[in-house]
Amino acid sequence: MGSSSGQSSGSYDLSFKILLIGDSGVGKSSLLVSFISSSVEDLAPTIGVDFKIKQLTVGGKRLKLTIWDTAGQERFRTLTSSYYRNAQGIILVYDVTRRETFTNLSDVWTKEVDLYSTNQDCVKMLVGNKVDKDSERDVTREEGMALAEEHGWTFLECSAKTRENVVQCFEELALKIMKVPSLLEEGSTAVKRNILKQKPEHLPASSGGCCS
Amino acid sequence: MTLVWGKPRQPPLGSEEWATFLDSEGRVMDAKAFKTRIFYGGVEHTIRREVWPFLLGYHAYDSTYAEREYLKSTKKSAYETVRQQWQSISTEQAKRFTKFRERKSLIDKDVVRTDRALPFYDGDDNPNVNILRDILLTYSFYNFDLGYCQGMSDLLSPILFVMEDESESFWCFVALMERLGPNFNRDQNGMHSQLFALSKLVELLDSPLHNYFKQNDCLNYFFCFRWVLIQFKREFEYKKTMRLWEVLWTHYLSEHLHLYVCVAILKRYRNKIIGEHMDFDTLLKFTNELSGHIDLDAILRDAEALCICAGENGAARIPPGTPPSLPIESENAFLYAQDDEVL
Repeated sequence: MGSSSGQSSGSYDLSFKILLIGDSGVGKSSLLVSFISSSVEDLAPTIGVDFKIKQLTVGGKRLKLTIWDTAGQERFRTLTSSYYRNAQGIILVYDVTRRETFTNLSDVWTKEVDLYSTNQDCVKMLVGNKVDKDSERDVTREEGMALAEEHGWTFLECSAKTRENVVQCFEELALKIMKVPSLLEEGSTAVKRNILKQKPEHLPASSGGCCS
Repeated sequence: MTLVWGKPRQPPLGSEEWATFLDSEGRVMDAKAFKTRIFYGGVEHTIRREVWPFLLGYHAYDSTYAEREYLKSTKKSAYETVRQQWQSISTEQAKRFTKFRERKSLIDKDVVRTDRALPFYDGDDNPNVNILRDILLTYSFYNFDLGYCQGMSDLLSPILFVMEDESESFWCFVALMERLGPNFNRDQNGMHSQLFALSKLVELLDSPLHNYFKQNDCLNYFFCFRWVLIQFKREFEYKKTMRLWEVLWTHYLSEHLHLYVCVAILKRYRNKIIGEHMDFDTLLKFTNELSGHIDLDAILRDAEALCICAGENGAARIPPGTPPSLPIESENAFLYAQDDEVL
């Protein structure tokens, strides 16, 4: 339905690369799948990286988000460094029921971001997942907010399972990105470059496709 | 250079033909002929349980029925001894054993999302999922330095599916990890050496493609990482993966046929890759999305032809000790425990 993952040309104004990072098992893939398709099943552990594309309209602009869902396990770090290149947005995810996934953000992930993110202006967002398991909560909302404030990140709590706040995560991040002139510029050149690359043989299945 | 084609694939080895490879006491009489036969056709699922332990190196080709039966019983108690090591950890003890808790929680999280679409592993409280967990946790004690890493559950899953026995699956997995363990090393040297060898093979077998990768800053070959790490497990459907694995495990033609399989896939899409000017990000996405769309038989024929074509030149480009070759002894002792970070 809405979540076409095809490369249909010219149907969007801006194109952004978003990276999902955080410890293994915090629900990065679930968050993404919940955003894309509204189904939440048990997903195989990510090896390396997976991708999803979502087109949506935010602030009157048609956006194409290419979301990179990275493997959480520490041993794959040499690999993940190559994924940060040219990302306009990074979502740092932790599990509100597992404190170590929260502390690892400060201990591991922020250092990683500082080291590998080539984009100075890149927008970061902190997301606490699994708020549906409220009885098992191990990290308070206030702690999350404090950490986000300390680093100047946007903060949200959500549940990939119930889909609470899931769409908001991505929409809010996109809005923030669009407020940064350099990122806005990158987002629109990515679109232009892609249109130039379009080949005649690359015809999308355009049955009733027509611009309004 | 002369044109080389891979031979057509044969039907899989069945139980009657399998019997002809064995002498009266159960020894494989001609291991080379046996491996060649499997290389070209694989084996029927019903006899995988008998054949895989040979291919994996758990059973010796010159072992008899009686010796294998005996091995099975001694290995069963050996397995139980290692399993007991973590099963005997009390809740109180676990509270002060962070590494154990972390490792267990990672494994617990992964087994419930490993091949759940398969009836063998689906549903709540599936006993096979628990066995998967027990074997992985036991392995992480058997090889404490290597521990557990994501991807291992992918490698174990088909083995348990085939062997349907906890202890036998464990020892087959141990044998497989003798070769593939370095894929999961903390410093990733096993992966880097294979990806480096792959780049050398592409340079030899398709220099324009190599130059393209070079110009576009893609020589790290990270876009083949998943293929190599878990032997194409995520690229093919389950049955095809099992077929591919038994072919790779014969080590007929080369121990590194998997690298030629990578070259074969890349060559098949080279015009698209170059024609569409794929950059690193696009290429990564492209190879990821090939999952489920690769014709195994055709790729195996291509890989065979490429391997023959490359001959000694190809072999010379793969440094000694590159996985899945068995590690070179002298160096190996230091490889694992060099980092305190054990998880």
